[in-house]
Amino acid sequence: MNEQAANRKIPIIKIRDFLIVSIQVDMHDRLAIELQAQILEELSQTGAKGVLIDISVLEMVDSFIGRMLSGMASMASIMDAAVVIVGMQPAVAITLVELGLEMPGVDTALNMENGIAMLEKRLESQNEFYNPNGA
Amino acid sequence: MTAAYAVKNLKQRVEKIENVLAAVAAGDKDARVNSQIEDDFSGVEFAIDLLIDDLTDELDQGEKTRKELEEKLATIQQQQQTIRQQQDDLLELSSPVTKVWDNVLILPVIGTLDSRRAQIMMENLLDKIVQTGCTYAILDITGVPTIDTQVANHLLKTVTAARLLGGECIISGISPAIAQTIVHLGIDLSAINTKATMQEAMKTAFLSNNHKSSELTHDEEESLREIK
Amino acid sequence: MFESADVVENKQIEGFSIESELDIVKARQLVRNIAKQLHMGIVDQTRITTAVSELFRNMFQYAGGGEVLVESGVHSGRNAVIVTCIDHGPGIADLDSAMKDGYTSGKGMGFGLPGAKRLVDEFQIDSRVNEGTTVRVIKWI
Repeated sequence: MNEQAANRKIPIIKIRDFLIVSIQVDMHDRLAIELQAQILEELSQTGAKGVLIDISVLEMVDSFIGRMLSGMASMASIMDAAVVIVGMQPAVAITLVELGLEMPGVDTALNMENGIAMLEKRLESQNEFYNPNGA
Repeated sequence: MTAAYAVKNLKQRVEKIENVLAAVAAGDKDARVNSQIEDDFSGVEFAIDLLIDDLTDELDQGEKTRKELEEKLATIQQQQQTIRQQQDDLLELSSPVTKVWDNVLILPVIGTLDSRRAQIMMENLLDKIVQTGCTYAILDITGVPTIDTQVANHLLKTVTAARLLGGECIISGISPAIAQTIVHLGIDLSAINTKATMQEAMKTAFLSNNHKSSELTHDEEESLREIK
Repeated sequence: MFESADVVENKQIEGFSIESELDIVKARQLVRNIAKQLHMGIVDQTRITTAVSELFRNMFQYAGGGEVLVESGVHSGRNAVIVTCIDHGPGIADLDSAMKDGYTSGKGMGFGLPGAKRLVDEFQIDSRVNEGTTVRVIKWI
């Protein structure tokens, strides 16, 4: 892997009130930490209320990445935002359970559609004036 | 000393025999005396060469047998692996996952549930949950009389992994014997979503689907009746 | 530490060193590919890849790097992939504790060893203070 690849950033897209992050590469530890910082920065700047992290391409989540994800959920909740992990592969889920890695505070959804519905439901119950179709 | 028993170069020839034997002992299978002289002693030299021939033949045969056994072992191991794979395939076929209604999968299990079968079932079910996007999966073990601790652990793993994926796995039809096994394992039964019958499990799944209503829709009632 | 000789005829597939974080990513992909080529099931592929990821990270974080040997061979009568990690770092003083869940080193993180052990079929570790650590994991195909 060369210097260029090492510095490649993972794109964060904002859609309505949410940030969407699609992890397409096998991350080295430093990249994972940088991503965490990037997302928190974006949350702070945009005031987004939720982050959807798509890991459908990730074939492996080890203890470091697992801790990064749950760390991010904790930090995001301080900023009043929720993190939803979507698209986990079955083999990854099984391995995480066997590793004994619990990810407290991390919500998960089978796919992006369910993830967004989950976030919207959370926002609706928090704010009775919230209109998912845009005020 | 009479001429009849005179042997030419006896000392050198004895030394040669010693050298040849030493060479063979060191691993040189081709070392032979190969005496060109014909006299009373050449009988000994010839006999030694024959002896070495027999010895090296034995060694070669042993080597050949060893190689054959190794090859046989490799073949058997390969076959064992194939058999294991076929057994797994059969196990997978014997536990079909069915989609019932919009968002609910059902996996009815009948018969002996051993560790290997539980493992296959787990992978199968989780795969189906992701493939179909169904949030609810019902694992019905009414047809399973007992399970051992390994299988109980697999079931717990299945439930935990399903949750991690973003789904929910309900286990229905737990017999009193199985309930005891699970509790003795120290597993908190409340950590697993369990229902007494498959119908109740389906009702729970349907109700969870209707976030706002605490009643089943007409069609959902129909489905439940059909299953009974 | 312990030798390849305790197993009959392992066949070496790859040997490389880990000197950076990027090496860790490359290394685990390599192990995944080898397992895949040897027709290991997909869940087992994920298990072995995750297990070695923990080991590679340990090696890099606590010893600054080390050597990795990937072999195929027969263990307990089954074809298997064998990954051996050798470092010459500080070693683990209290191995028993390190192999228990919930153990954390000074850096606030465990070694990930008990987790890695659960993911593989055989796990061997030998560590000597100030000499280094060797960990070998075996996963049947």
